[in-house]
Amino acid sequence: MKYVRSWGLLAATALLLAACGGGGDGDQSPRVKYTAVVSFGDSLSDIGTYGTATLKAVTGGGKYTVNASDSKNWTELIAAAAGVTVPCPAQTGLESSGPLAAFAEAKTDHAGCYGYAQGGARVTNPVGPGNKALIGLGDTSGYVGQLTDPVLNQINRHLATTATGAFSGTELVTMLAGGNDVFINLATFAATVGAGGDATVAGGAAVTAMGTAGAELAGYIKALIIAKGAKHVVVVTLPDVSQTPFGYSQPASVQGLINTMATTFNSQLTSGLAGTSGVLIVDAYTQGRLQTASPVQYGVTNNTVPACDLTKTAFASSLVCSAATLITGDVSHYAFADSVHPTPYAYRLLAQYVTDQMLKAGWL
Amino acid sequence: MKKNLSPFALAAVTALALAASGTASAQSAGTWFAKGGVNNIAPHVKSGDLSAPSIPGTKIDVKSATSAIFTLGYMLTDEVSFEFYAGLPYKHEVVGDGSIKGVGKLGTIKQVSPTLFAQYRFMEASATFRPYLGLGLTYAYFYGGEGSGTLTSLTNPGGSPTKLSASSAFGVSPQLGATLTLGERWFLDASVIKTFIKNKNTLSTGQTIDTKLDPVSSNLSIGYRF
Repeated sequence: MKYVRSWGLLAATALLLAACGGGGDGDQSPRVKYTAVVSFGDSLSDIGTYGTATLKAVTGGGKYTVNASDSKNWTELIAAAAGVTVPCPAQTGLESSGPLAAFAEAKTDHAGCYGYAQGGARVTNPVGPGNKALIGLGDTSGYVGQLTDPVLNQINRHLATTATGAFSGTELVTMLAGGNDVFINLATFAATVGAGGDATVAGGAAVTAMGTAGAELAGYIKALIIAKGAKHVVVVTLPDVSQTPFGYSQPASVQGLINTMATTFNSQLTSGLAGTSGVLIVDAYTQGRLQTASPVQYGVTNNTVPACDLTKTAFASSLVCSAATLITGDVSHYAFADSVHPTPYAYRLLAQYVTDQMLKAGWL
Repeated sequence: MKKNLSPFALAAVTALALAASGTASAQSAGTWFAKGGVNNIAPHVKSGDLSAPSIPGTKIDVKSATSAIFTLGYMLTDEVSFEFYAGLPYKHEVVGDGSIKGVGKLGTIKQVSPTLFAQYRFMEASATFRPYLGLGLTYAYFYGGEGSGTLTSLTNPGGSPTKLSASSAFGVSPQLGATLTLGERWFLDASVIKTFIKNKNTLSTGQTIDTKLDPVSSNLSIGYRF
């Protein structure tokens, strides 16, 4: 009898073991409840400002990446991770002209849309790459007619849309800018040197201008975003523009200058924001350099050649790049779509780093 | 997770030490015995790095869990026994470590780890207090992996939820324990078990991470001799 009892116990145990539940997705909701993602900045955060009907129909483009129906930039991925509705561009339109006139569309504001970032936007100066004002200066990129409304205006436009002229405090605000200040200041440097000017003096002026832009951006974030009630502002530092196909096409001395321009901008930006509560600085500069140094770790198969064949696109930008205008071969894990903009894969890597930092801060 | 002895083990040992001595009873050859109690499993994780694409040094830690255990044993001789440990499932929390330390809970994983021990018991079969050493073979069966928003955000931000699973594995389990006789048939038993075990965790993104779990189990049971 005693054996029966003990085996009975074993059988009961076996039954208990068998009563196992399956796995699941777990709790996918973020720790902070956000009502919207409000993004400011340039092409790296632009979710379709220039995706005009004609541009989309003709090129399949609209965003600065390898465009496809499921191509998302990092702000869209962060919005999804933050559990808010799919963001939409706050303003659309394109002032294209000349050979690109067919893409033009009137500037329109969209209520309830908080994707303010625009390709070509600078921190303060209203004329960035691709702006029509550049045509008069002999820069044919101006035919694209990008609106390039600077970050300062973007923030003010958002404040003007709210009844109180302030943030509610439940938004997740993203900021990534400075790249277009690099390009314009670099163009000025090249023009100065090309006209026989002193390279050291011209380079110094470019670096100083970047420092000013970084300090201005920090000031706008403090005075127009934090002081206006925002409580979660993700500020992404400017990636190292010298480590892009554009950068690699420059002489070593210019690459060094570009790097200094980026680090000067970032140091002014981060020191200006030091100790500001409600700001999370995500060091994409350092993270980007790590990715460049160890592509395999990040699953990147190529970080020097653009995935888009810019001889096939309507103009030399990933804004008009889609599956039809790719180089041959598998580019799904390339880092760059064009000379400076990330592929969807690289945007995902950036989003992954931003979420890592947000999780550690308890923001996600 | 770096403590060598969990608070639970200390409590178990203390309980044994404080327990009143009972009358001697035979723990001799041919005796069957069964136990029921609680067991705490505290993994001492050495994590590998999450495979690409990942932030370098992405590691995990596995938190301790407590559950009920049941055992069935047989005295082959007055000194040598075999004992089979089974029990209710454990649910462990998996958290970020290494370069992602601080991100919080990545998910949970359940496991059962039945173990068959061969034991050597010191002292006389009739002794009130008998320490013993054991060596066991453990099969750790992992199942019911559950992810989290944190895991998804780190591995597939803005995408579909990342699922988590862990491979099951065999391990070797040295054991140090003691019994204290409470009466003719009842006894208290406490033991500490170290299990050497490695496994592989797999995410639905296709990424993997190898871990050495090497848990210390501490248990306190009440037993009955048949």
